[in-house]
Amino acid sequence: MATTETPIVKRSLFSWIFPGNLKLQGSLLFIIILTVAARLLPLEMQRRIVNEAIKLRSIDLLLIYCGIFLGAVILASGLKYLINVLQTLIAQRTTARLRKGLYRHILNLPLNFFRNTQPGTVVNALTNELTVPGNFVGMAIAAPVTNVMTLLAFAGYLFWLNPLLAAVSLSIYPLVVLLVPLLQKRANRANKKRVDAARKFSSKIAESISGIHEIQGNGAYEFENRKYAGLVDKLLKIRIVWSLYRFGVKQANNFFTGLGPFLVFLLGGYLTIKGQLELGALVAFLSAQEKLYNPWKELIEFYQVYQDGRVNYDRTMEYFDVEPEHEIAPEGRDPLELDGSLEIRDLSFVTENGIRLLDGINFSLKSGEHMALVGFSGSGKSTLALCIGQLYKYTSGHVLIGNSEVSDLTKKDVVNNVGIVAQSPFIFEGTIKENLLYACIAANEGDGSGQDKSLPTLDDMIAVLHQAGIFIDVLRFGLNAIFTPEQNKELISSLLRVRQNFQRGFGENLADYVEFFDEDKYLYYSSVAENLTFGTPTRDAFDVTNLPQNEYFLRYLDESQLTRPLLGLGAQLARQTVDILRNLPPEEVFYEQSPIAPEELDEYKVLVKRLKKTKLHQLSPQDRSKLLELTLRFVPGIHKMVSLPEILENLILEGRALFKEKISAENPEAFTFFQMSQYIHSETILNNIFFGKLKTVSPQAQDKIDTSIVQLLIEEDFLEKIVEIGMDFQVGSRGDKLSGGQRQKLAIARALLKNPRILIMDEATSALDNKSQSRIQNLLETRWKGKSTLIAVVHRLDIIKNYDKVAVMKAGKLGEIGTYDDLIARKGMLYELEFGKQ
Amino acid sequence: MNSNSVNNKGTPSCEFQENLDMLRQIDFFSALPLEVAKVFAYLCTREIFKTGDYLFQQDEDDGQAFYIISGKARLLHKEDGQELIIRDYETGSFFGRLALMGNMPRLFSMIAVTDVTCLTITRQKFLKAINQFPDQMPRIIKAIVETIQAWEKRFLTHRTENCEACMHKIGVSLV
Ligand SMILES: Nc1ncnc2c1ncn2[C@@H]1O[C@H](COP(=O)(O)OP(=O)(O)O)[C@@H](O)[C@H]1O
Ligand SMILES: [Mg+2]
Repeated sequence: MATTETPIVKRSLFSWIFPGNLKLQGSLLFIIILTVAARLLPLEMQRRIVNEAIKLRSIDLLLIYCGIFLGAVILASGLKYLINVLQTLIAQRTTARLRKGLYRHILNLPLNFFRNTQPGTVVNALTNELTVPGNFVGMAIAAPVTNVMTLLAFAGYLFWLNPLLAAVSLSIYPLVVLLVPLLQKRANRANKKRVDAARKFSSKIAESISGIHEIQGNGAYEFENRKYAGLVDKLLKIRIVWSLYRFGVKQANNFFTGLGPFLVFLLGGYLTIKGQLELGALVAFLSAQEKLYNPWKELIEFYQVYQDGRVNYDRTMEYFDVEPEHEIAPEGRDPLELDGSLEIRDLSFVTENGIRLLDGINFSLKSGEHMALVGFSGSGKSTLALCIGQLYKYTSGHVLIGNSEVSDLTKKDVVNNVGIVAQSPFIFEGTIKENLLYACIAANEGDGSGQDKSLPTLDDMIAVLHQAGIFIDVLRFGLNAIFTPEQNKELISSLLRVRQNFQRGFGENLADYVEFFDEDKYLYYSSVAENLTFGTPTRDAFDVTNLPQNEYFLRYLDESQLTRPLLGLGAQLARQTVDILRNLPPEEVFYEQSPIAPEELDEYKVLVKRLKKTKLHQLSPQDRSKLLELTLRFVPGIHKMVSLPEILENLILEGRALFKEKISAENPEAFTFFQMSQYIHSETILNNIFFGKLKTVSPQAQDKIDTSIVQLLIEEDFLEKIVEIGMDFQVGSRGDKLSGGQRQKLAIARALLKNPRILIMDEATSALDNKSQSRIQNLLETRWKGKSTLIAVVHRLDIIKNYDKVAVMKAGKLGEIGTYDDLIARKGMLYELEFGKQ
Repeated sequence: MNSNSVNNKGTPSCEFQENLDMLRQIDFFSALPLEVAKVFAYLCTREIFKTGDYLFQQDEDDGQAFYIISGKARLLHKEDGQELIIRDYETGSFFGRLALMGNMPRLFSMIAVTDVTCLTITRQKFLKAINQFPDQMPRIIKAIVETIQAWEKRFLTHRTENCEACMHKIGVSLV
């Protein structure tokens, strides 16, 4: 269906007026006719009131005419409101339709298009530039019809009143009609420039935000600010010019129409004095003439919206007027199930600028064969992979998958048979699971068969997580998740069982890495607040963030003589932390070990300055509360800038006992204390199993802990459940919460889950450590060889020995191809790549 | 009014302060001004390696430098399944300077032969921090250059007789 429609970028702005809006526009027309009538009535009433009611001194007539007058005014404004409603409806619906249509079109555009198009450009087009065209479509019927009809009606009425006066006062309008387009032409020129400048401007913003790591890493703030300021200033200049012309149009119009009454007074006054015109008629004429002004102004405004809308629309559509290279889905047949064989004949790829990136490539692979593609960077490996995957449209030669020419296939055919792991794979915001299922969901959607193929099961997903080597990572995400209290009663009781078994089986072994919750010991890896309360608050008032203001808690601190020493510690913490972090940027590396958050630093800087001049007990309640907040967060095992004095440690331990006593007696509902038999809802699953906290994040500790935990979870038949929880981990925008290696592994898992006939991996393991890389290599050799055809662009030569074929690319040509042993024996290019020039 | 060190008197000195004292004894950091050294001392972490744990392993790019606070670690090289013992590192040794500067899969492994406590800093933290003080980079580079030069000089002076074959491969300081 998409094929027969005109592509959105070829449609004219006018084509949006009726299609899809027919009913709304029709109703509009009808209402408009009523409105014009309702507008005319008051004029006639006015005349009659003066000429008949007042002249005849008839109160009855006066009341009747005034009643009709009032009714007409109410009706007219009601109808006007209705027109506005309909107009808005049409405008907004059209804008939405434009946005959807253009987005759909843009997603299909060739990759090459996006080499020169920044995300910001697209964002700007879809958000800003389409609103005015939408508004135009909303007004397209209502504004001209209402206003022209009103104008004509009033003009006719004027002629009927007094043809001479009418002709004179209307003589101004042709002048305006001549002048306005001249000014508007200049405004349009400025507007075109504005659209282009706004596009660049949005691109710049999008670029800086995506490159924020690099900017902050290089401290390139000034440099970036300068670039940005340059664009802003340019846009500013253009916008000023544009606005001035637009005001010019308005002003010229105002000026000339303002001359109308002047002419009427001059001529009409003369005629009345001479007795050739009744006073009532002059009044009527004057007010009718004034009424011309509004519709005319609206017409001019409409004209401006039309011009702006046209420019925005044309400029935007022109920019995106590129044809998609391939059809989305086949028509009249199911997507093809291709055989996994691959044949490449005389394949060349020449860019628009005539650069030959691939040059006469020939090779073939039988279904299930694995080929490694090697060569210097820039030799065209990725280009070749993209051509095979139909992401680039090759310019000559043939790529045959299962004997079908790739450039003749639809996207759907290729997608259903080919899986690609890109050189820098993209991870979408959402959960691990959503990313994992991405390819499968897309492949299942609208494949013509009409029925939903079922999605992979949990077992399938876990299997690919294993294969891609990201299983442990996902397990860790699961272990680090925090449950909401009501969720999963069953789960919680099983977790408590796991905790007991853990203590029995592993407690001692891992004591070096875990600090167990112990009512009689100070917890160096928990905060002062946790050390005092030794429990989880169930009331908001006792939440850590509220404790420094909680009267009950403050009184308790006083009673147990903790206030002064805690404030003292807080002051020391603030001083030391501010001293270290003073000049560092708000990046996570610098704040991992800080009790002060980046956004609070300035506040504490000021506080520290005040501390120099003020004694602790003289501080304002707010400052004391700030210091106390800091102390309550203090975790000696993490925040190493101050040490916890032994005296205070003992005081806190005493305070803990006191707190428990006090709360149990006075407020037993407010806390659940840490107990072996209780799940701690504020802590992660892992900490709950430990009944304690991890002391270190070092890799060797991680490994040991992983092994024990996995063993335990398997025994309890609980592993899958935790992995399932881990799959709900939110990966952050662009997968920023994952490491580079994890992103790559996730991308591999995503492709494997699809189980494609042909798998293309472009340096898919480049960010992985050796172990993970060999794992995946092994897996490909044992599980996938013979089943799926594989083309792997490989940057490390030590993993290519077992490939069926190795192809060496050099400057866009296929230098040599054969088995690893043959090529090495031949002492050609591969030999040179591996051992250097001899 | 009270400077930090005075402040800490009487109370046990904190880990940050101890780290700072240690860094000031390491050539790599000792030339840095106090302001900068403080940041590194803050970013360091202590790690405990049990006997038999690896500090790092051959072929892996762990990107860390280590200062041995206590204990003994052994440098190994694996080749064709054979493990060659190279030498031991003891309390006070600092190694891994180059791993801080850029990606570098290890050519050796290091194993703890007693329980070892280390001060470590990762490449990521090091680079982020040094980026904040670009004018300190020359000092760091100078320290590295001197270390490499001293190393090879020591090798040339103390080499034993049966080293003829390796003599043709020396000259790391020329890279
Ligand atoms: N569409 C394109 N237009 C212009 N140049 C391109 C295009 N695609 C790739 N290139 C250039 O072609 C060369 C080969 O790129 P690529 O296939 O990515 O190499 P490899 O993957 O082997 O490192 C590079 O110099 C790259 O800049
Ligand atoms: Mg490439």
